[in-house]
Formats: sequence, structure tokens, C-alpha cells
Amino acid sequence: MVSRRRARVAVAALAVVALAALGHAEQRPQQRTMRFAERGTTLYVTTDVTNLFDKAAYDRLEDGLASTVVIRLWVYPSGKKTPVAFQLLHREVVYDLWGEIYEVAVTGPSGRRLYRVKYKAEALKLVTGLDQVAIAEVGAIPYDKHFELAIVAELNPVSAETMAEVRRWLSDGAGGGLDRGGSFFGSFVSVFVNLKVPDADRVLRLVSQPFYRKRPKR
Amino acid sequence: MRVHRPGLLACALAALALAAAAPARAQAPPPGVSPDLLDPEGSTGDVGSALGGAIGPVVTIEDIQIAGNRSTSTRLIERSLPFRRGDQLRVSDPRLARARWKLLALGYFREVDLALRRGTRHGQVIVTVVVAERGTVALNRLWFGTSAVAPWWLGADVGDRNFLGSGLALGGGAAYASAGAIVGARPQWAGELRLSAPALGGTRWGAHGAISGQHGSEPYRVSGPPGSGDADDLRAFGYRRLGVRGGPAYTLSSLSSVVADLRVEAIDAAVPIAPTRRLPDGRVTAIDLGLRRGDSRVVSVGLGYTRDNRPDPSLPHQGTRVEVVGELGTSLLGGSYDFAVLLGRYDRFWPLTHKSALGLRLAGGTVIGDAPRFDRIHVGDVDRMLAPRVMGMTTALTAPLDLLGTDNADTVYGEVGGSVTVEYVYQWWRRPHRIYGGDLFVAAGVWTLATTDELRLRDRDAFAALPVDLMVDVGLRIDTEIGVFEFALANALGRVPRW
Repeated sequence: MVSRRRARVAVAALAVVALAALGHAEQRPQQRTMRFAERGTTLYVTTDVTNLFDKAAYDRLEDGLASTVVIRLWVYPSGKKTPVAFQLLHREVVYDLWGEIYEVAVTGPSGRRLYRVKYKAEALKLVTGLDQVAIAEVGAIPYDKHFELAIVAELNPVSAETMAEVRRWLSDGAGGGLDRGGSFFGSFVSVFVNLKVPDADRVLRLVSQPFYRKRPKR
Repeated sequence: MRVHRPGLLACALAALALAAAAPARAQAPPPGVSPDLLDPEGSTGDVGSALGGAIGPVVTIEDIQIAGNRSTSTRLIERSLPFRRGDQLRVSDPRLARARWKLLALGYFREVDLALRRGTRHGQVIVTVVVAERGTVALNRLWFGTSAVAPWWLGADVGDRNFLGSGLALGGGAAYASAGAIVGARPQWAGELRLSAPALGGTRWGAHGAISGQHGSEPYRVSGPPGSGDADDLRAFGYRRLGVRGGPAYTLSSLSSVVADLRVEAIDAAVPIAPTRRLPDGRVTAIDLGLRRGDSRVVSVGLGYTRDNRPDPSLPHQGTRVEVVGELGTSLLGGSYDFAVLLGRYDRFWPLTHKSALGLRLAGGTVIGDAPRFDRIHVGDVDRMLAPRVMGMTTALTAPLDLLGTDNADTVYGEVGGSVTVEYVYQWWRRPHRIYGGDLFVAAGVWTLATTDELRLRDRDAFAALPVDLMVDVGLRIDTEIGVFEFALANALGRVPRW
């Protein structure tokens, strides 16, 4: 009897662990080979986040509504969790239904630039390309030490406040006025068809190959 | 015999102060980096909008076309959009982006897609909204367990947030508890039916109404030491309750609302004449069962305020929830009881790292005057290691664990009570499908519950007269496609007999 109970507990525990492992696998960033270059006192990267757009997201570029891409870049010493540099990029694209052109705004460390392009592919390249983007001052990257660049790109991210608004119905209670008779103190556990609203349409996580600054020869 | 516990209270206050002063992040960001940008798991929505500027042409909305809604009325959807036909706006206007989220916030749809297409004249556009409806039926609460008072009990509360696509929320619950071997006990059952309209005519005003009934029996102690499990030490009396309540609600902002209601309830209670209890030392003392014998009425008005800005109420890691409820029962309106109730609840979460958070949960209140028994604070409300009431019915008289030796087993209903809990949450996993996430949590706190008499007629200071004890909990919260579940030690303890 006891052994059967233990077996059930073990099966339940294994199921939970398997689920957790499945969840972890989906969070893992993709490894991507990126190009790094040092010019003056700044370190630059060249890569792209085009995979952020699948076919549906690409097609939606011509739906007349604004699409926003937010890209965050962190430079980490290999094996460490504290970044030594951070960069934030913001891109927005809108299709002008009557003018039949794409307007693109690119905001980054060098300011804000506006582009008007004819084709969707050009607009995609502008919002997802990272061409010689400054990621760190070289002073933060000591010679001969290995670093990695982590990139998180989000398509149409949502603010925490909007998420709170969207998910507020979850904590609205059972309805019917004021909670009484113990319900006021009750914990929040509920069973319902709970289709999660993601906090961005799509998210792409990338990590670069380890890189280092070579000490110049004297 | 209770002991003075100034040290314990000082420790609790110190823990609270530490919790309040906890840093927002464990690691300091590099120079020039705003801490709110550092979370690789988090979203940058606010950052995006802050850096963006208006681009694209100005257009006039010629028409709004809605498709995909099989049961939800088109008018209801149109009313929820933040723009109207004829409005002029830039295509990058946040109102267009927000429209999708406004519709998702209704909780009726799993997918909302917006698009623009050319109208009949230059500069005019037609907004098309395609929705995919979702199941809106929810199992709000589930009650079950076993105790000496009720060998088994079972109940459920279900609701539909979008009843027949009308936008009305219809819900209700039913529960049954069998009778234990206590003199006077009988099987108990209860039911409730609720109807609410969250937004009347698309305005900020809502309304709600409910009818509820209970056929119960309330156990009380007539002899033996506090917490004793001997059925001979207990008696029960039967009662019936039938009540209606209703009133308006007003949405103050997207995150806060107020609700008011009027409650009228008829009670028929077979309360014994002059009930007494024989104390372990042989003395006999009168006991207050908190109800009029025979027929009585409760007539009260209540007001509640809620604000909840937690981005994820299922697995919270940040944000605050505040809830305050006040209720006034008076004979001026024809009631038999004059009382006031003030209850408050404050939950706040601080992210420590991108995977962990510290939560502070405060809940408590006070009941003033001659409140009926059911409106007083029950020990299960403040000590989560005990079974909560089931639709207002008592199904267990289990004594709380006396971790501090504070003789806390005597008070089942009190007029002053509350709890302070500090909770550490660790994000185990997050994924976009099916089983969205799991959080492990460890919680510890203190709870207290006392009657006004215990505080007023005391031979020690007020702090010492408050029976304070510890509460600990550990468990796993899982957010899934079919709902939110909590597997907690405290929850399990409250559902099995300990005597």
C-alpha cells in the first residue's frame, strides 16, 4: 500500500519535472554567429533579428497599422550574469495605404532617423537589421577576456500596465458584488479556459559566439 | 495562559520593514542603464512607446467592420473600441494599437486581429476587427475536505463571464456538507446565483445582483479544553439564511473600481436559550453565539474599492493589489443587527531578480457592534493552514497549530483579525503554450484573531491579549490553459482532520 502511494507521488513529481524541463527548453536563446568590430573607443556588432518575423507577421506589415520592434542588447562576460553594457533600439514601421509606401522610424544610440521605402522587404530589413550598432565602450571590455552578446527582440511588446488591464478579469472574482463569508480572504485559484495573452506578438532571443578583444601588438 | 510576546512582535515588524525595504533588483545595473530595462525575460512595452514618435498619415475612420463573433454582440465589441466612425487619427496613434488589448481585456476572446484597408475616398480607412471567441465558463472555487464536524463536504462555484454573448456575467455555486457525530448537527447545504453587468451600455457603470441561501448547522463548544476533538464537547444548532444583494459598480480606471451594494437577509436560527460552556476548571460561563433566536434580519449597505496593477495575477512577480470593503448594518433600515465591518487586503510583489520575487500580503479587518455570527472574522479567514468556510458554512472546528504556545484554539469567530505574510516566489518555468508557467513559493507570517471581549476585559496589555501565531506554507502555483492551480501545504492541512 505504502509502496503504491510512493509510486504515485514519484510519478506526479516526475510529471511536474518533465513539464518544467519542457518549459525551460522553449526559453533557451538561439546561438548566432555575429560580427564584432572595434572602431575608436566603441565596439560595434553586425547581425539581424529577421527571424522575429514569421510569414504572418511579415504579411501584417501591410495591414496599415504600426508594427513596433524593440531590441535590447546586453554584453556579458562569459559565464557571468551581470552585464557590462546595455543598448536599447526601437523601430517602427507603418504602411501608408493611400501613398503605397512604408514609413520606418529607427531610434538608437545615434538618434532617430525616418525612412520611406517602396517595398515590404526593404522595410523588414530596416526594422530588423543591426548594421554596425554600437554596443559598448571598449573601456568596459578588457583585453583577452571572453564576452557574449545577448539580444532580446520583441515584436509589438506590451507595457506592464496594459498587461495588468488585459489580465484584470482574472482577479475580478466571481462577480456579484462584495465578497463576504470568507471569500474576501480567499486565495486565488480558479479553473477556466485560460488562453494566455503574450506580452509581445513574438520574441526572439539570441546569444552570440564568445568574443574577445585582442591585445594590440607593441 | 497567554504570555507576553513583545519580542515576537518586534521580529514581525522588523521582517515587514525589511520586506518593504527590499531592493527592486538583486544586482545593480551598469552605469547609465535603467534598472527597468535589464530584465531579459520582461517586456519593453513602455520603453517602446516612450521612444516612439508619431509616423504615418492621418486618416479618417470611414467604417468599422467586425467579424468572427458568433455569440458576442457586435454592438458590445464596437462599444469597447477606443475610437468611433468619423474619428481622425494618425495610423500610429496608440488608440489603434490599444484597441486589440481593450477587446482582449474583456476576457471573451482568445484572438483579436485589427487591420486597416482603404475606404471609398482618399484618406479614409475601414477598420476590420476579426475576433475568435474563447470559452468563458470558469470554475471559480472548489471546496472539499473532511473533518469531525462534517465527515465530508463538497462544493463548487462556476460562472460564465459572457452569458449567451451578452456581456453579462452569470454565476453560481452549490455546496453540501454531511453531518458529524455532534449533538444537534445536521447535513448542511448552500446555494447562490449571481448576475452582473460589468459595463452598462458601454459606460463605466455596472450593476450586480445575487440571491443566496443556506441550510446549515453551526457547531460550538460546551465543554472540554480549547481545541479538544471530542464530539461530546461540542453541540450544534441549525439555522437557515435567505438573502438578496445588489447594487451599482463604477470603473474608476482600467485598473481600479468601486462597488456598492445593499444586502437584505432573513435568518431563522434555532439558537439554544442561554447557551453555556463548562470550562476545564469547572466554571460555567455564558457564550455568545452571535445570532438572535428565531427569525431575524440583516439589512446592510456596503462599499468596496479595488485596485490591481499586477501584470500577471496568476503568477505575480510585481505589482500591487489593494482591496477595501466597508459594510454598515443597521436597524434603521429594518435589520435586527447594528454593526460595521471594515476589511482590507494589500498584496505587493517586488521582483528581486528576473526569476524571483518577494511578496508581502496583508489582510485583516475589524467588526464593530452586534454583527451576526456569519459576518464576523473566522479563524479560517486569517490562518490559511485551516479550512476556510464553505459558502459561509462552518465545516471544521480544527484547532490551529499552536506554534507559539499562545492558547489560540479558543477563538473561532472574532471581531479583530488579520494576517501578515511574507512570500518568496521562484519562477520555475514559463512557456507560451498549455502549461504557461510554474512558481515555487515559500511563505511565512503571523496571524491573529480576537474577540472584542478578549481585548476589552483583559488582565494584560492589548498586544498580549491578541492571540498571535505563526503560519508557514510552501507549494507550487501552476498557470495552465485550463486554469490556475495552487498545490500548497497549508491548503492540504486545512482539508484533513487533525483530531
